[in-house]
Amino acid sequence: MEFFRKTLDPVIALAAIAVLDIFLFLIVGAWTVGGGETMMTGLIAQFFLGDELQRIPFWQLVFPPHADYWKIYISLGMFFGAFVGAVLSKEFYWRMPRRASEWLLITIGGLLMGIGIRLAFVCNVSTFFGMGSEMNLGGYLAISGILAGAWVGSLIYKKILEG
Amino acid sequence: MSPVAECLVAFLFGSIVGLLVQRSRFCNTAALRDAIMFKTYRNTKALLVAMMILSVGFTGFMTVGAGHPMSFDVGLNTFAGLFLFGIGMVLAGACTVSTWVKAGEGNIGAAWALLFTFVGMFLFSLVWSWNYWPPAPASMTGEPNLEALQLGFANARTLQDKLGIPAVVFGLIQSAVLFAIYRAILRRERAQQAQHEMHQKEAAETPVEAAKAQAA
Repeated sequence: MEFFRKTLDPVIALAAIAVLDIFLFLIVGAWTVGGGETMMTGLIAQFFLGDELQRIPFWQLVFPPHADYWKIYISLGMFFGAFVGAVLSKEFYWRMPRRASEWLLITIGGLLMGIGIRLAFVCNVSTFFGMGSEMNLGGYLAISGILAGAWVGSLIYKKILEG
Repeated sequence: MSPVAECLVAFLFGSIVGLLVQRSRFCNTAALRDAIMFKTYRNTKALLVAMMILSVGFTGFMTVGAGHPMSFDVGLNTFAGLFLFGIGMVLAGACTVSTWVKAGEGNIGAAWALLFTFVGMFLFSLVWSWNYWPPAPASMTGEPNLEALQLGFANARTLQDKLGIPAVVFGLIQSAVLFAIYRAILRRERAQQAQHEMHQKEAAETPVEAAKAQAA
């Protein structure tokens, strides 16, 4: 099938996603990833800590772990859809960062993303595809924040690239 | 709608998104990073088009009170959180979407980033349980809370309620602004293309000098 042989124009892909996102907004709420990831964190922590997790108020007052939280399944769906797309287009193969410095950057980057999402209550997806488009005041604060952060991140990255 | 049906709808939506993002190589990180670092806009244009459609769609339904807009208080934490996120996504080379999508393609680095996003969230839950900032959604009032450095809640619908102007009007204005940015990018791309062609033409006309310049 042509769809699995050629790279799709991202403008077309994102226009289609936007239309679907409007339907999702009408049914449950706009596309978001951070909330689902937080709930997964809670569920994983509960698996390892059991009742000990009750001692951390965050998991009672902000995100009591529930497996039937719809946002979790958006993330799992993205993983599944990407896996199917990669297999059908013969683009699935194991890739591994080679240098220790790459592993370090990814680790720091991942930590900052997790901390940032929880501090803001939103992730980059909600910023652009939810809040910003709902014209929520938070959307503008978040967009300013992520632009400033991406700029600083790019400066750091350039410095590292230049050695 | 029952929670199970909600989860099924979410999974279906996610699957289609994952497929489309995988096939198009869209990346939100690249949409910002490439525009800043390399002045290339492949992903930026896609992001803008999606936001144009969403702004009209969301505010259109919000005008008649339909849909489920996000509602919680925002403030300094919103800016600061996304600032940290912005640095993190450039360092990790992936955002929340591309970590899932790349992990689905067999990228162990993306799965590692995802794992540490979870770790970051857990660490934050410990800090939150000590200082309780930003306030939990249950205790938010929608009004400015200066002590907690929060401005409250406002969106296109609250503007409609306050000013009597339909929310969709604001959505159309936002889309027009986004379209102006989109057109400015197209103009810039055309200028880059013209410059590139001119350089190529010059190099073809004076091959010796071009070779010298390249050697230098």
